[in-house]
Amino acid sequence: MDQDSPRVRAVRDESESTDDDLLLAVARGDRQAFSALYDRFASIAHGVVRGVVRDPSQSEEVAQEVFVEVWRMAPRFDPDRGSARTWLLTMAHRRAIDRVRSEQTSRDRTERAGHRDRGRSFDEVSEQVEVSLEHEQVRTALEVLTDLQREAVELAYYQGHTYREVAEILNTPLGTIKTRMRDGLIRLRDEMGVTA
Amino acid sequence: MTSNDPDIHTLTGAYALNALPQDERVVFEEHLDTCDPCARETDEFLTTTAKLGGLLSEPAPADLKASVLDEVDRTRQERPASGGEAEVVSLADRRRPPPAWITWITASAAAVAVIAVVAMGVQLGSVNDRLEQAESIASQATEQLDEVQSRSARIEQLLAAPDVQTVSYQQEGVHSRLVVSDERGEAVFVASGLDPAPHEHTYELWVHGDDGAVPVGLFDVENGATVTQIVEGDFASAAAIGVTVEPAGGSPQPTTDPVMVMELSS
Repeated sequence: MDQDSPRVRAVRDESESTDDDLLLAVARGDRQAFSALYDRFASIAHGVVRGVVRDPSQSEEVAQEVFVEVWRMAPRFDPDRGSARTWLLTMAHRRAIDRVRSEQTSRDRTERAGHRDRGRSFDEVSEQVEVSLEHEQVRTALEVLTDLQREAVELAYYQGHTYREVAEILNTPLGTIKTRMRDGLIRLRDEMGVTA
Repeated sequence: MTSNDPDIHTLTGAYALNALPQDERVVFEEHLDTCDPCARETDEFLTTTAKLGGLLSEPAPADLKASVLDEVDRTRQERPASGGEAEVVSLADRRRPPPAWITWITASAAAVAVIAVVAMGVQLGSVNDRLEQAESIASQATEQLDEVQSRSARIEQLLAAPDVQTVSYQQEGVHSRLVVSDERGEAVFVASGLDPAPHEHTYELWVHGDDGAVPVGLFDVENGATVTQIVEGDFASAAAIGVTVEPAGGSPQPTTDPVMVMELSS
């Protein structure tokens, strides 16, 4: 529309850019693109961090680290290896995990591993979840996994346990857990791929 | 564990879930630099785990953005490549093959086209006809793919809108939710447990506001399926969203009692 002011026009253009376009613009130092990318991903990135870290103020700190790292590392983003969304959420999850693990280095990891409720269970978390097409896909895909696959994936991803801790919690040999994590992700990948 | 351990190939899953302790993560990352199958599988798994992360949306504290922007102003960006000279290497040289899922989607779209063309080939007269058909089917497949992609991008953007509100409805096995952004004038309507509309009928969505009921879209549902519908409308002045059953093709005004009504808080 012709009567739009230039500012409104610019904002509208950004809302039409893909995630990848925004991140590539951030890689060139574009702050406005960074602001738009933040708006688009703040809730999801914060949610991923909060799911693992739990403590609200620590989660906020980690989320801040994540977005500053997004800015800093954007020039290294390679769209051929995966989407901006994957890149950003991988970073958020890893930062959250690192925070949780550095907290517990001095503690007895075994004892800690027996403590199942550090993170929130998938069911609790899913209460707060927004609805989207993708959510339905993810839930459906998770239902396809065997119990052991699903538990291994959820304990690791949603609660931040290492595979050794997962093995102890589920009282299952290490080798089996490694394979179940891989099998589980293969099934999830295929299941999501089919409906994508 | 060393990067030559034969067992190391099974660690792609644990790595993508961030379930490797720091020391093993480093070893595995070295391995990824030299093992293409593992690198490819890992890229696919990271796309998968990012989708798991997508379930965890939770609004960030309002003042976080200002702190982030403030710190960003004082933060220098990394150089594009890892080493100083590496910057000279052209992008094309560093390029990996696209992630398998992209190849898969493209391949399956192409396969759909090929199967359709082969099926049709029996009835088609000339080679030229077949070629034209093939082109139009292939472009239809691409359009469908684009549509699916732009649809999910639109839903994601809507969910990320700052003013987004969610309204739920649950009764007699029907669950539905509406995620609305007044500012974007858009909503996503998701419903499960609805019976298919009766023969020669359709479901119609309405925005109820000061001007009465405004039709905003038709949908039907297959047995047991979930409906996901993007709706455009003026939600800012709307009091409720309703769904009625209407004759096929829809009606300009509701002609039956609503199947469900979801009230919007203003």
